[in-house]
Amino acid sequence: MIDKIDPIPPENITRVDATSRPLLPLYSFVVQAGFASPAESHIERRLNLQDLCVNDTDCTYFVKAVGESMIGDYIFPSSILVVDSSVAVESGSVIVAWVNGECCVKRFVRQGKIIMLESSNEKYLPIYVHIGRDQFRVLGVVTFIVSKPPRYVRPC
Amino acid sequence: MYALVDANSFYCSVERSFNPSLEGKAVIVLSNRDGNVVARSDEAKKLGIKMGQPFFELKELREQHEIAVFSSNYTLYGDISSRFMSLLCRFVEDVEVYSIDEAFLHVDGYDSIYPSYEGLGKSIKETVAKRLRIPVCVGVGPTKTLAKLANKLAKQRPELGGVCVLDTPEVIDKALATFPVGDLWGVGSKSAAKLKKNDIDTAAQLRDVPDDWIRQIMTVNGLRLVHELRGFPCKLLEVSAPPKKSICTEPGFGRLVPDLNTITDALTTHLTRVCEKLRKQDSLCSAVVVSLHTKRYRKIPANGLPALQYHNHLTVVLPHPTNSTPELLKYAESGLKAIFKFGYNYQKVGIMLIGLVPSDYRQKGIFAEGPNEKLLTLATVVDKLNYRYGQDKLRLASQMYNPDWPMKQEYLSKCYTTRWKDILEAH
Repeated sequence: MIDKIDPIPPENITRVDATSRPLLPLYSFVVQAGFASPAESHIERRLNLQDLCVNDTDCTYFVKAVGESMIGDYIFPSSILVVDSSVAVESGSVIVAWVNGECCVKRFVRQGKIIMLESSNEKYLPIYVHIGRDQFRVLGVVTFIVSKPPRYVRPC
Repeated sequence: MYALVDANSFYCSVERSFNPSLEGKAVIVLSNRDGNVVARSDEAKKLGIKMGQPFFELKELREQHEIAVFSSNYTLYGDISSRFMSLLCRFVEDVEVYSIDEAFLHVDGYDSIYPSYEGLGKSIKETVAKRLRIPVCVGVGPTKTLAKLANKLAKQRPELGGVCVLDTPEVIDKALATFPVGDLWGVGSKSAAKLKKNDIDTAAQLRDVPDDWIRQIMTVNGLRLVHELRGFPCKLLEVSAPPKKSICTEPGFGRLVPDLNTITDALTTHLTRVCEKLRKQDSLCSAVVVSLHTKRYRKIPANGLPALQYHNHLTVVLPHPTNSTPELLKYAESGLKAIFKFGYNYQKVGIMLIGLVPSDYRQKGIFAEGPNEKLLTLATVVDKLNYRYGQDKLRLASQMYNPDWPMKQEYLSKCYTTRWKDILEAH
């Protein structure tokens, strides 16, 4: 015989407000009854060109090349250069920099107090930068070059 | 210990970072519609250009001096800002993004990794300068208020090299002794005037006032400030910002408009913008507020009498949350029709999206269908196309193309980091 009612702890008693009744979805998901795809446990992310070319998204800029001065380094007109500003500039690096306001892509060579910006096309002369005299700002080092293949013209 | 990292005249510095020939020259950035000056380089400040000064007032000055003028390119500033913040996250674990160009860092213990707080500050400064070409100043102190104060000192005193650390009581005392109360973080012009009346001119004097007195004068916020000056942190780091609860826009027409059709076109344009924002933060909205205003304080030119005024707004609750522009437009338009009153010259129509919920939220009612999934998919496709081919390339028919109230941006620089057609060119 039950002579005592189990007491309900006060923290289990809540006041119900009928005006703000939460709605519950009737069917929020479907249960699959079929056979699961065996490939499901072997899914990998698709390849992405960004992962290959960009090492550091916060320090990467894309720059379009103009002109043929760097053709020897496979940089063609309208190639897209991937430029990383976190990579240290060394003698021999291909860099994108502003010289007296002019933006250029060149090979960086240090010769004492003078910086030489070489082209890789014989038709172009090197640019000499005097530190403290010329205005020189480096954007970064070219780490990748994205180009379209050249249009093939059949010799006739 | 807290550090405040703040970029020096950020908008101008960003413009310079993609155009170094502007270094050493006066640069100003204008507000939306090219109305007022919102950012000035040091050189522009020296010419006497004030913050918020109307642009047309500078005509004469521009003839005398070389001043580079830019419309605000928020796309570019936003992207560089996110790179900046993400660089800061590499230095310490807790970063509070305080505004587009400043962040608070929790730096306790990091002085052992970087020999000193000074070393940490220098390291941050050099990294940002090299990778983003943006000059920053770093202030370090035991509380956020003192870090902010240190940052101000770092900016004012070039001999500090852009880094100011207030770590010992002596150094803090010295800094507070000469720092004017009006320049403190959280002291507005009204409070400053009140304090001046009571002969409190420096931060050191404010620090030494009795608690009860300051609570009477400046409420509990003043008390917090005084405690922060004494070195007891009251304002803590807020690392994860809550997602936006509402999105709104309310630009003026640029002229007075009396007719409903033109206003509806403007509403469509505004709605398109806010819907893009809504989808970008991956939300649905459950209600729209439409508002309509005549120009306040307008006088009739002929006789100088105050013009008749009319303001109204209406909240339209949607049957189900959505982020589809055409669907929202249907409700916004009917809201506008309901509040539109014939016979007034209107200055602006505003739209606000409220009750934002995450985009995966689906709640089927008994009487209302859920949002049309096809429309939601369509909206993302439209966004993608417009992102690739330019804003408003694909638009609703009722959205007037090239309307009379586009954001006037005559001096806009390129979006170097977010649009392929705008990237830098190197010869």
